[in-house]
Amino acid sequence: MSLPPDYANELSTLNREILKHKPADVLQFCANHFLRRLESQRAEYLLAQQHSTANGKGMAESSFPGSNPFKSSSSPGLPADQQARGMHSLEEEDENDQVASPTASSFPRNIMGATNNNTNSHADSFKAGSSPPAAASAGTGAMDSQSFPSNYNMNRRTSVSAESLNPQSSVNDNWTPPFHKKTADQQQRLRAAVSGNFLFAHLDDEQSTAVLGALQEKPIPAKDIKIITQGDVGDYFYVVEGGTFDIYVSASGKLEAGPDGLGKKVNTVSSGGSFGELALMYNAPRAATVVSTGPSTLWALDRVTFRRILMDTAFQRRRMYESFLEEVPLLQSLTPYERSKIADALETVKFPPGSHIIREGEVGESFFLLESGDAEVYKRGVEKAVKMYKKGDYFGELALLNDAPRAASVVSKTDVKVAKLGKDGFQRLLGPVEGIMRRIDYEADGAVDPLAT
Amino acid sequence: MHHITQHLHSNGHRERQSNSSLGDRQDKKRSIFHHESKEEKELREADNAQRETDKQFITQWEDETKVLSPDDIVRDPDQKQVGHSTHLRLQDFELIKTLGTGTFARVWLARLLSKQGDSNKVYALKILRKVDVIKLKQVEHVRNERKVLAAVAGHPFITTMVASFQDNDTLYMLLDYCPGGEVFSYLRRARRFNEATSQFYAAEIALILEFLHEKEGVAYRDLKPENILIDAEGHLKLVDFGFAKKVHNHETYTLCGTPEYLAPEVIRNTGHGTAVDWWAFGILIYEFLVGQPPFWDQNPMKIYEQIVDGNVRYPSAMSPDARDLIGKLCAVDTSKRLGNMNGGAQAVKDHPWFRNIDWDELYYRKRPGPIVPHLRGPADTRNFDEYDPEPEGREPYTDELKNKWDKSFADF
Ligand SMILES: Nc1ncnc2c1ncn2[C@@H]1O[C@H](COP(=O)(O)OP(=O)(O)OP(=O)(O)O)[C@@H](O)[C@H]1O
Repeated sequence: MSLPPDYANELSTLNREILKHKPADVLQFCANHFLRRLESQRAEYLLAQQHSTANGKGMAESSFPGSNPFKSSSSPGLPADQQARGMHSLEEEDENDQVASPTASSFPRNIMGATNNNTNSHADSFKAGSSPPAAASAGTGAMDSQSFPSNYNMNRRTSVSAESLNPQSSVNDNWTPPFHKKTADQQQRLRAAVSGNFLFAHLDDEQSTAVLGALQEKPIPAKDIKIITQGDVGDYFYVVEGGTFDIYVSASGKLEAGPDGLGKKVNTVSSGGSFGELALMYNAPRAATVVSTGPSTLWALDRVTFRRILMDTAFQRRRMYESFLEEVPLLQSLTPYERSKIADALETVKFPPGSHIIREGEVGESFFLLESGDAEVYKRGVEKAVKMYKKGDYFGELALLNDAPRAASVVSKTDVKVAKLGKDGFQRLLGPVEGIMRRIDYEADGAVDPLAT
Repeated sequence: MHHITQHLHSNGHRERQSNSSLGDRQDKKRSIFHHESKEEKELREADNAQRETDKQFITQWEDETKVLSPDDIVRDPDQKQVGHSTHLRLQDFELIKTLGTGTFARVWLARLLSKQGDSNKVYALKILRKVDVIKLKQVEHVRNERKVLAAVAGHPFITTMVASFQDNDTLYMLLDYCPGGEVFSYLRRARRFNEATSQFYAAEIALILEFLHEKEGVAYRDLKPENILIDAEGHLKLVDFGFAKKVHNHETYTLCGTPEYLAPEVIRNTGHGTAVDWWAFGILIYEFLVGQPPFWDQNPMKIYEQIVDGNVRYPSAMSPDARDLIGKLCAVDTSKRLGNMNGGAQAVKDHPWFRNIDWDELYYRKRPGPIVPHLRGPADTRNFDEYDPEPEGREPYTDELKNKWDKSFADF
């Protein structure tokens, strides 16, 4: 007769534990071991039981393996031990968790009912030109657990990914973004149309010019043309130049056959509106169908172009910073890795002509790399500029080293763009500068930096 | 193509055959039914012999594993016992049940079949159709996954890739089976974890990230409770290295991850590196303690908008230490993100929220985890959900595709 498999399994677990811990007191060890097993089995049983009662009602609160971190506020009337055993009723938990969301619009209540459809939470989204942007959740700092939305999508979440982008190859390709000429009027309308979109709000001038240039005009000749189709994967983002478009959502998550296949009309987009921006991130299924209502015009931008513009500008800027940093004797001992980290902490700052970038006598906090434009160095008592900086020069690096006042002023002569590295940023990333200095014998060199003298 | 030549084992010496001519995969794919030449026959027999050795090897490996120190794991991947390309075949396994499915992979509980009769050895066999991998443009990701898993094999909290193999149209990764199932399931059932449980799990993850970043130069890029499994002793095992990438010193640009866990620099495409994992680590701790991630909306674009803004709101009952840690991890500015700053992972480990963790004891798995799955045997699958059977009618892996792509899969 063979031993029950449960038993054999318990023994082999015990054997492993014994081998690992080599206990001195074997009997005590075994006793402890089985006690622990028993506890964990019971706890697991409780957990499973709650799981089955919770069926269809969302997720049950349980004290195992975690207890409620909001204990004080969520079940005030319950004795602690009862909470700890996870015995309190589901109703109570629901009640306490079902609380008003601060931004009801962004936490719709029906999510739990429709969670089987994964496209639900990952599908493309729409912003109608006419409607105001939905209130983004605001507020900082502490918030009460009472204001937590209870309708979070509890399903397993799928990973997303976009086309692989490799900056090296794009340098070799000599890729330049497509450019479609636009009138000043059109440009301005486009700028306004995308200004509310956070993906565009963060672009710098150069990127934003490239992105706007890449938008391509798409004349739509007639009504009833489907621009995008619910359920299909999307590659393009659209801005409406002229005409109106109707938006339909089908409950099934995709366009169906037949006359009612479009589903319900939920909105209309007109000039200045845009739709399909999730396609700029990765190819997710479209969340709605968009149909033309007559001859009209769209601007279209595809994901790969958009992301590549962002990548190329970021990549070039990083390499520029790194090669700037390589030139700085003070930073000569940094490894390439450290330099690339520092490049991450550089911040672009612009100055109109005639501004003080550095003021003589003030205690310096930052180090500057001149990205574009010209700047001049002045010293008190000397009328003419003592030195001139141009693209690729750097100044003020001694601020990283000590708190001595600046020995000269640097004033922009033209429009100037600098990359600024604060002492605190440097130290956060690499630790005290003194430690790095100790690697080499750095001698402040007046010829390199008149600010030092 | 490497085969391990020799291994020293604690219980004595064992030789593994090596025959470099067998490294050529061609012989594996040839039908054994056509009339074969003498050389072909020899090759086939040698292949079978190697296959038997491989089988024997994987049968034994588990009993010999012990936790390697991070430095030992890194030392010499070619000398490692596990993680190599082998001559195994699908026919060497009985597929018992689907454990999980991803976008293009299916993971099976698989029992090793052996001549000696019923083997009790079970594994998780991750099966990827070459044609799906190509069609979904995941060739690079799959290659990265295989490479990274081989390099990190032996880490106490990363799923061990015991072996890999392939046949005409399919790739296989043989993984150690984690019978506890996903942390995700426990978390959703429990709604939230208490502070001690969260600290324990977070600490093990911190050790994984420290190792991946600082020893391997790898960014994991898809941290979330769904990708963390619980093993028989209640410790964590990180799975799914599909997005893991050796980034070394350089930033990378391909968007990948899971919406709620994406770091701001990934969304903005300004270039990202290992710092994205520390961001996701903050989100993960938040989700452990609260039951849902800090940034969420039905509309994914709104999630991204919140992420880029980076305003984390905390429930009033969350402890100040936990808040402080999450806030420092979820810093939009990477030069202010804990883990990415001077001190690296050590700065995370030194945070007061982890003050009760004995890091050394943790790494060497001296104590069982907070949830030890109760199991009815090594092949128990009660902790896994049911999955639909695989859909029929797959696209064929045509000769054209094969000629173009098979060399990309040569590592398997
Ligand atoms: N070693 C293992 N032991 C037990 N179960 C496993 C193991 N590896 C994977 N699984 C199960 O299979 C699921 C899918 O595996 P995995 O995430 O590696 O596949 P994938 O296709 O890369 O996933 P995704 O598309 O989500 O990235 C896991 O979430 C887990 O539930």
